[in-house]
Amino acid sequence: MLRFLLLRLARALLTIALVVSFAFVVLRLSGDPALLIMSVDAPPEAVAAFRKAWGLDEPLWRQYLSYFGAIASGDLGRSMRDGRDAIVLVGERIPATLALTVPALLIKLGLGIPAGVYAALHRNSWADRLVMFLAVAGFTVPSFVLGLLLVLVFAVQLGWLPSGGQDSWRHAVLPIITLGVGGAAVLARFTRSAMLEVLGQSYIRTASAKGVPWAQVVRGHALPNAAIPTVTIIGFMVGSLIAGAVVVESVFSWPGVGRLLVVAVANRDLAVVQCILLLVAATMVTANLVVDLLYGALDPRLRRGGSR
Amino acid sequence: MPALVRVALGWLALMLAVALLADLIMPYGVTALDLRNRLAPPAFMGGTWLHPLGTDELGRDVLSRLIASIRMSLVIAFGATLISATFGTTLGFLAAHFRGFVEQIVMALADFQAAMPFLILALSVLAFFGNALGLLVLLLGLHGWERYARIARGLAVSAGAQGYAAAVRQLGASPLRLYGRHVLPNIASTLIVSMTLVFPEVILLESGLSFLGLGVQPPATSLGNMVGYGREYLTRAPWILLSPASIIVLTTLSVSLVGDWLRDRLDPTLR
Repeated sequence: MLRFLLLRLARALLTIALVVSFAFVVLRLSGDPALLIMSVDAPPEAVAAFRKAWGLDEPLWRQYLSYFGAIASGDLGRSMRDGRDAIVLVGERIPATLALTVPALLIKLGLGIPAGVYAALHRNSWADRLVMFLAVAGFTVPSFVLGLLLVLVFAVQLGWLPSGGQDSWRHAVLPIITLGVGGAAVLARFTRSAMLEVLGQSYIRTASAKGVPWAQVVRGHALPNAAIPTVTIIGFMVGSLIAGAVVVESVFSWPGVGRLLVVAVANRDLAVVQCILLLVAATMVTANLVVDLLYGALDPRLRRGGSR
Repeated sequence: MPALVRVALGWLALMLAVALLADLIMPYGVTALDLRNRLAPPAFMGGTWLHPLGTDELGRDVLSRLIASIRMSLVIAFGATLISATFGTTLGFLAAHFRGFVEQIVMALADFQAAMPFLILALSVLAFFGNALGLLVLLLGLHGWERYARIARGLAVSAGAQGYAAAVRQLGASPLRLYGRHVLPNIASTLIVSMTLVFPEVILLESGLSFLGLGVQPPATSLGNMVGYGREYLTRAPWILLSPASIIVLTTLSVSLVGDWLRDRLDPTLR
């Protein structure tokens, strides 16, 4: 188990290192930031001063090392637009994003998992077909279309809810529904196929053949086994709590991390983009690590075997 | 073949025809202005047949823009899907052929790609490089490669243990011939099923990026682009947004339905 954990941890750190290198390579390949930020006809002395201020006049490998060093010490650079620390800028936006993504995650879990389990237990019934149809529809309707349709109906036609902004809890309702419904569809589809897979196993047949009540077979044998693949996709959803609302935040003008990212990309504010990239990578990797720990708890075979 | 799949295939054929014949069937130019008929409603909402799907704020014909957008979105999605299938399959074969270190690297990269939300990676690349059309296609072509790589690697490894691969190798065929002429045709059905799963995702990604204003740039237009533009006129002219939105939904839905059906037909192991 310890070896398994250490391997996973090493892999997580490797992933973070890959993301940092990816950001550095892309940053270097993209041309001279000095010329991107300053106008083309800026005086050469100003460009040189800019390069010196941001350490762009040193050799590449020195830049790479100092880049890694700076990130390891928590210095993610300053926004090239307004000069504030990128990490502060991003940090300010996190609560707003979580205010959308956490309730949305609860909707996904509360709707998606029961719907998927029910559909699998009543395979080929009309309820199953309905769940599957909604699940496919939920996957194929992009979030910006769903969001705009909700705005059209509930804000424009009925006038019940505001269409954008962040002034009260009522502003959060439509974005949360938009985020939650799409994710619930994905989760329902996934849970259903995981359940069907488990229900086809011989130990389920054995359990019900020896007279265990069906409800108990489902609770004691089917659900725990179906939970293992489902946890993976839930881990992915938890990992994207910070970055999963980019499009929805833009639709509803919600001042979260996603909106900041889109604006930073449009303005080429590289420090902010890179800070968000690293933040997302870190949450994703942490979530995956937790999923691996949960695997150990859910599946005794992994605990004993040590590796998969 | 279920009726729903027939309808889906019919819709896809229609979209393909529209994309191929775009220049012939477009009633107006994409940027042609008709300033006397600005924000004209579609024919079925009280407008005239002069502009069957209405016009936008500048009096540009929505139907013509829709046709051009369908072509643009389909070209991008086809291009990106082909790139990612080629790239992923090649890497998967390389991993299967060389094993050891190469395999470890390819699989680590695949894990990394699968772990990062693609939209975030795409946005950061666009931030650094700007959004030329070719770059956008290449970038979207990175989406989903890890799935082909995993499938191709797994299947090529198991094919290597089968008689035909050994026989071809012992007859002196080069690795290129072995993988290209013998292994690839044998695993093609599984790869095609994966393509039908990746294709709608690419359409959704492209339309999402274009919706955010970071994908296809004006004056060129794509489906997501039109939705993003139509959003400004949501109250006064919802038709600008509704027609491209329904095309996106119907097309991704059709590809998904056909893909599910193909998967059940071609590949019982994936079910």
